[in-house]
Amino acid sequence: MTTARSSFLRKIYYLLGMIPLVILLYTLGRPATKGGLTNHPDPGGIITQIREDEKSGMSQSSIGDLDPTSETVKLATMGLRGVASLLLWERANDYKMKEDWAKYESTLNQIAVVQPHFISVWIHLAWNLSYNVSVEFDDYRDRYHWVIEGVKYLKKGIDSNSNDPRLLWEIGWIVSQKIGRSDEHKQFRRLFKNDDLFFGKFYPSIAKADRDNWKIGKEWYERCIDVAEKTGKRVKGKGPLIYNSNPAMCLMSYAEALEEEGTFGDVAKYAWQNASKAWHAFGEKKIPEPGSTSLYLGHLEKYEKKVQDAVVELNALEPGLREKIHGEKYKALTDQQRSALETPADKRTDKEIQAAAQAEAQLEISTEEIANRVPAEKRAQAKKLAAVAQENEAIAVDIRRSRDIVNFAYWKLRSEVEQDEDALAAREAIFKGTLRFREAAPVAAKELFHEGFLKWRSVIDRYPKLLDDSITVDDLMDEIKIYRRLLDQLNESFPDVFILQDVLKKHAENK
Amino acid sequence: MEFDLTQLKPFWEWFPWAAANFVIVVVVLTIAVLVLGTLFSIIRHGPAKGFPWFIRLCREGLKDLIFISPRRVAALTWLSVKESIRRRVVLAVIGVFFLTLFFAGWFMDADSSNPTQLFISFALGWPWFLVLLFSWFLCTLSIPTDLKNKTLHTIVTKPVRSSEIVLGRIFGFVIIGTVLLALMGTVCFFFVVRGLSHTHAIDVEKMHATEGADQANPALTAKTSSAQGHVHAVRIEPDGTAVVEPSHSHTHAIDIVKEGDKIVRCEIGQPEDELIARVPRFGDLSFLDRNGQKAARGVSVGKEWNYRSYIEGGTDAAAIWKFTGVTESQFPDGMPIGMRISVYRSWKGHIEKGIIGSLKLYDYKQKRWVEAKIFTAKHDVIDLQNIDRQWQDRDGKTVDIFEDMVQDGELQVMLRCDDPTQYYGVAQADLFLSTPNAPFFLNFIKGYLGIWLQMVLLIAMGVFFSTFLSGPVALLSTAGMMIGGMCHSFIFQLATGYTPNGDPLYGGGPFESVVRMLTQDNIISEMEPSLRTTVVQSLDKVFQPILYTVSSILPDFRMFDFSNYIANGFNVPGEMLIKFFFRAAAFAIPAFIAAYLCLKTREVAK
Repeated sequence: MTTARSSFLRKIYYLLGMIPLVILLYTLGRPATKGGLTNHPDPGGIITQIREDEKSGMSQSSIGDLDPTSETVKLATMGLRGVASLLLWERANDYKMKEDWAKYESTLNQIAVVQPHFISVWIHLAWNLSYNVSVEFDDYRDRYHWVIEGVKYLKKGIDSNSNDPRLLWEIGWIVSQKIGRSDEHKQFRRLFKNDDLFFGKFYPSIAKADRDNWKIGKEWYERCIDVAEKTGKRVKGKGPLIYNSNPAMCLMSYAEALEEEGTFGDVAKYAWQNASKAWHAFGEKKIPEPGSTSLYLGHLEKYEKKVQDAVVELNALEPGLREKIHGEKYKALTDQQRSALETPADKRTDKEIQAAAQAEAQLEISTEEIANRVPAEKRAQAKKLAAVAQENEAIAVDIRRSRDIVNFAYWKLRSEVEQDEDALAAREAIFKGTLRFREAAPVAAKELFHEGFLKWRSVIDRYPKLLDDSITVDDLMDEIKIYRRLLDQLNESFPDVFILQDVLKKHAENK
Repeated sequence: MEFDLTQLKPFWEWFPWAAANFVIVVVVLTIAVLVLGTLFSIIRHGPAKGFPWFIRLCREGLKDLIFISPRRVAALTWLSVKESIRRRVVLAVIGVFFLTLFFAGWFMDADSSNPTQLFISFALGWPWFLVLLFSWFLCTLSIPTDLKNKTLHTIVTKPVRSSEIVLGRIFGFVIIGTVLLALMGTVCFFFVVRGLSHTHAIDVEKMHATEGADQANPALTAKTSSAQGHVHAVRIEPDGTAVVEPSHSHTHAIDIVKEGDKIVRCEIGQPEDELIARVPRFGDLSFLDRNGQKAARGVSVGKEWNYRSYIEGGTDAAAIWKFTGVTESQFPDGMPIGMRISVYRSWKGHIEKGIIGSLKLYDYKQKRWVEAKIFTAKHDVIDLQNIDRQWQDRDGKTVDIFEDMVQDGELQVMLRCDDPTQYYGVAQADLFLSTPNAPFFLNFIKGYLGIWLQMVLLIAMGVFFSTFLSGPVALLSTAGMMIGGMCHSFIFQLATGYTPNGDPLYGGGPFESVVRMLTQDNIISEMEPSLRTTVVQSLDKVFQPILYTVSSILPDFRMFDFSNYIANGFNVPGEMLIKFFFRAAAFAIPAFIAAYLCLKTREVAK
């Protein structure tokens, strides 16, 4: 056999050897396609299918290195992946500046291929698409398109990093907040509901009634919480209190959005019921707080009761002691402080307010002070009770602070009140009244506003605490402002004694 | 897309200026070569023999360049082709190309918001990369390898001139590259057409009457099925005419099949207006400010990119384009005007309503502007507005474009934004007269001609470097020249200190930039007056002429890249292509002569 012939045969053998390797690579690593070019969907190679199958427990990130696209690029850049990504970022910035959005988008996809496990990149670029690129467009449909492009981009990131809660939180945020709170939220929510392409791709089996950005956002937040709890990873930059409250807040916003769009009756009532249940569940959820023990927002009353019981028991050890200490402390106050305290709170001058605050602080009696003054034979028990009171008070303080962060009490009350038949009727009447007003039917509108305010009166009488929060007051004031304009059109003056006079008063106080 | 309209200057306006520049450069270079050559000869052979030796060399050189034998060049070209094929690099390149194309479908996102741009960019970008990479290796390593293997020694023993050897190499490599490009171009064309081809279906059961339509005989609307990540809205009028609304920059033809009065089927064809080559005619742009006074530019709305400037709505601000050479025969049925407007809202307004604007034409007879069209602006898409040949003005008087608005072939079009406190952003190329489209495949071929010109330049430069440098050094030198050519525009900006728009280049020259980077200083603020500042800015001043010389010698490779035109659906003007042929020749011919001189002075070729 000549050398040329043997060389030729060797090449043929190599070629034949390559064929099974290519088939193997194709069988294992082929990515899934929706049939972009051929219109025939393909579930992809074995590895792709394993990744898609979440039940198998093999997360994307654990086998992320097997991603054929990313691996090919890593090899092709011959260790210069950092340089490549730098150049791509530079190019992306240039395309963004020059508003070449198609190239910008394709460059972002290239960056994602080069840096598939760099979470900040996914977050930053998705945010750019949904928030910064979308506003560059004039047509709200184009804006919506780019908001969804950001969501899709994050979804790709999640496919590669399913064990990281940050991306799940971000997608929840964009779907819920960007679509539900933008200036164009009415249009965005409508487009989202009718986005067959989006739902066909990501939620093929979802019912049309459930196509709501708040509900979908809630799902993503819940996935975020699940992953954070399972992996022990934190959602960087977001406190556990915040991200644990997000799913229930989505349901609150969903119920609000329904009413804003004119859906009332049982649908709205059911939505508020769900929100209330979710908020209650949030109150019963153990929230890991950095630097302190975990707490339950719904358990404040339990701890307050423990404090109260301990204090009562402590006071009972030496009846009259608390009053005695109070008397001593009162005597120790300056004349100015005493005078300030005796002046009714709403009539105090600035100086008196300051003096009264100092006096109240000085008059406070701690359980420790009482325990120290209890006769010696009871002092051990008194100290024990004081410790119990202090310990539970510290927890209660933590809970109160955490509750304030998420406005827990307000949303708890609000979600209960909104289920009330009168509240639902009030909202519906005011909504219809506003519509009539806009349709230039002020007489009919006035009737509806009267009906609505009457219902509100009944609700506020039953839930007076509702006015403690400025959100409800501001909300009602918006309705009253429309009513004033309505009366102006009818050449009627606003009544001197309005049915919701307490709302007006509260609003003035808040201001 | 950013148009550089200076490239679209008519050939006969450009040529005398370019030719004069070329002649000046050639004369300066020739004098420099003659002076340096004389000095070199005197140093090498002494004052007595050196000068005659150099004169003889020049005479021989002229002979070698003038009396080139096409037959011998053809033979050497064929030899280069055979050698290249024998090296099997060609097969490797073809293999890589087909392998990539085979897997490209995995990574091409047909659901992208602009798949046309994506596919065309790939179809022009990947062959560009492969062919240039191939040419780079082939042309720079060929002569050094032949010298190493002594193959060239055999050739020079034959009766051939050094110029013919160089030319044979260049032609040989160009032929191989051309064949490769032709093959890739053909395959990529079908890849693009096939990749973008799709159709949709309509479920006739889901058609519904249009809101507010005559209920007895309503217009119907429907949505198509999804394909390549988009759907189209369809409207069927009571008379049976149907329109598929554009989506993803294209539309489709639709055929309604009826049985009696009932629609039984809708057949949707392949995409239309997707692979097109618009032939625009651009005009000169001027602006009026909010008081109706002439202004150099519109206002800035704070965007970093100042390609466009903005006109304020509800004021006298306007953008005016003046077109010349407009004839009735070109536009017999009216004036199709293409616009690409950037809409800027200073407040949201009614988000579901677009910003209203108007087009006016100047009536030369009555010396007034006549409103021709009121429209709602479509942001950042090409919107074709057809102005009828005749229409009635507000006073009910009939006006005719060619009788009233065109004088000596000159037509003026005014664009105004009519919504108060909202803005339209425009650049010179954003409003054009639209003439019939050119065939897409011809435009695609023009894109490949741009790649071909870059390949020819690279080969000429590579062969030049390989005649006096070793293989690896020639490789690096050619790559350096290529990268420099890619960054030509940036180098030129650094050399002049200004951007192409005439704005100052922020951040200073190379030395100042280094200092700013190290001190993390922003590029806008002035540097603190100090010794360091004086030193770095002085160094930049010294470096600027060097950069200017470099930018004058390097060919601007990006200039030959027409992919933006093709991907954005614009025809590459033939005149521009001819100019680029001349430009490429202006670099390639001197490179060939320099390569010949270098080979001639080498021991082997004497």
